[in-house]
Amino acid sequence: MRRTTLVTAVAAAGALILTACGGGDGGSASGDSGEITFWDTSGPNESPVFTKIAQECATKGGYKVKTETVAFDQALNNYRTAAQGGQGPDVFRAEVAWVPQLAKLGYVVDLTGTELATDTADFLETPLGSTKYDGKSYGVPQVTDSLALFYNKKLLADAGVTPPKTWDEVKAAAAKLGGEKTIFINNDAYYALPFMYGAGGDLVDADTKKIVVNSAENVKALETAKGLLDAKAASTALDPANSYNNMQAAFTSGEVAMVINGPWSVADYLKGAAFTDAANLGIAPVPGDTAGKGSAPVGGHDYVIRQGTKAKDSSIKFIACMSSVESQVQVAKELGLLPTRKSAYENADVKSNAVVSAFEPVVTAAHPRAWIPEGGQLFDPLKIAYADVLAGKKDAKTALDEVAKAYKDTVVPEYTVG
Amino acid sequence: MVLPVVVVIAVLVLFPLAQGVFFTFTNINEGNIANPILDRPASYVSVGLDNYLKILSGDASYGAFWSTLVRTLVWTFGCVFFHYTIGLGLALLLNRQVRGRSVYRVLLILPWAVPAFISAFAWKYMFNAQYGIINQFLRFLGLDDPPVWLGQSDWALVAVIIVNVWLGVPFMMVALLGGLQSIPGDLYEAAEVDGATPWQRFRNVTLPGLRSVSSTVVLLGIIWTFNMFAIIYLITGPNPNTRILVTYAFERFFSGASRDFAVASTYGVLILSVLLVFAGVYRRALRKQGEVW
Repeated sequence: MRRTTLVTAVAAAGALILTACGGGDGGSASGDSGEITFWDTSGPNESPVFTKIAQECATKGGYKVKTETVAFDQALNNYRTAAQGGQGPDVFRAEVAWVPQLAKLGYVVDLTGTELATDTADFLETPLGSTKYDGKSYGVPQVTDSLALFYNKKLLADAGVTPPKTWDEVKAAAAKLGGEKTIFINNDAYYALPFMYGAGGDLVDADTKKIVVNSAENVKALETAKGLLDAKAASTALDPANSYNNMQAAFTSGEVAMVINGPWSVADYLKGAAFTDAANLGIAPVPGDTAGKGSAPVGGHDYVIRQGTKAKDSSIKFIACMSSVESQVQVAKELGLLPTRKSAYENADVKSNAVVSAFEPVVTAAHPRAWIPEGGQLFDPLKIAYADVLAGKKDAKTALDEVAKAYKDTVVPEYTVG
Repeated sequence: MVLPVVVVIAVLVLFPLAQGVFFTFTNINEGNIANPILDRPASYVSVGLDNYLKILSGDASYGAFWSTLVRTLVWTFGCVFFHYTIGLGLALLLNRQVRGRSVYRVLLILPWAVPAFISAFAWKYMFNAQYGIINQFLRFLGLDDPPVWLGQSDWALVAVIIVNVWLGVPFMMVALLGGLQSIPGDLYEAAEVDGATPWQRFRNVTLPGLRSVSSTVVLLGIIWTFNMFAIIYLITGPNPNTRILVTYAFERFFSGASRDFAVASTYGVLILSVLLVFAGVYRRALRKQGEVW
């Protein structure tokens, strides 16, 4: 009897201690473990190259690197959960919109004053902007990207169509390209941005602290997208869960002639039956409301260091090596991803890469996004609204008004709806 | 001697519960919670009943509580009804002398043995509106315009109910089969001697014999289904047409806009309240029928 009581007491005490001390050792600045865990969020086509470069950097720099690949759509959540508890990677490949958010929450190291933040003249302006928050520097741009119009050269040539520069031209081309087989529209929020930016709209105006997602321009933009479907000039999955995969399948099999997507998808496309000859893949700027006014969002990824890391010095060395001109050239050469350093574009191998050269004007003209902590959270409500509009369940105005209300209530309460 | 029990219950159950309830009266979120690792003190403040008022107003920005509750009830009772009826049917079939009974039994329990996320992804592919096997079959049958199962309509809810029924039937079947086998055979013999038809034997011997098992598994089934998060979230993601109370609480807590711990906790408390009320009513109803539970 006594023993049971004792055991229970010990168990209870243990439980109390466990609940009392959640966490503990904060990252002490002194000492560097020399072992880096790097969370790579790139896809299966790209990850081996990044892993290889990471290992080369480690050998040169005299530290150890363990690369862990993390699914992109889970990465932000996993990182936040881990970082909150003092766990997780030392170096993280964060999407550009995540950086200000992680900086505000205190999950990434402030790099101001380190070698990573002082020598930045070589980086392209827009990607570099994503690493800044509140006047401080929190990351180093890894790659940049944007959305472009991918087209099947053979299908377009057979139909006698040139790559369309406006949405009206897309509609006109549909008569020759077989109606719904003309273009595949992915009903995800990010893919709504070319329509919105092209029409002169935006999600929020960070300078005047205004929510502008339900502007007349954006209403018109979504009506343009829906109009393509109604005119049977485009198809979409209407199936958000499978949308991206269906788009990739339809384009790689040659079923649809055009899609809008980013440079990361090139490796997938080249594996498909329609592009066994890589020269068949055409890349052009996204169409706009008027010719030359097409505009796509800036994307890309930055390297950040986790607050609380035990290998800060090694991590800085690692990022410097990973974002060096040499590494960026290698990535661009092997994967066709776009460098963030101006000098990398001068390399002959990079210049001759078809994807990079096709995307260079797209990226230079890309529409900057609002680099605010809430930037990454603007997409969830928009995703549902965009899918609703394309499915014909709500009209564009109603859907966007609801998005504006959701932004005001839960994302940026201090902004005004204007 | 009661002290250790009190301590364990307090630590394991009451303290976290009380903390959750406390959160519902604050504006706590990821940005203002205390974090010793980042050397950050807590900066959340009390907001009184604000969270409850916002949610109970049924505002769409806070999950459209009332329509979500109705959807949760449709989902729960739809699932449990089919779980129970199909499970009972299969149990009755397997309770007879059929050749290869154990083989059937193993096969029928398979859906339960597959990890939920694997089933979820397999079904997600089958429900694909363009390439999925289900719509290919419907087109083969001559249906030109099969539904977009996982899209922006109520078909999405039908789809997840189908998956959850598929997953939940084996458990009901096994539980009810156990119940059936504990009904003494003499009862059936006596009923047969008295000239009872098969239907009368089912009504007057089988169902009463199963009552204690049924009442337990149905209550369990309702609580599990009410809180079944994985299937819905893995198959449709944050789609408002399949949103139930727990998936919305998860969206607010982990993904979605703001890691709003306060609103998520408020949802937790509301879910708990609904289930407590339901369990109370259910117990009272059973007790009236003379069931001691």
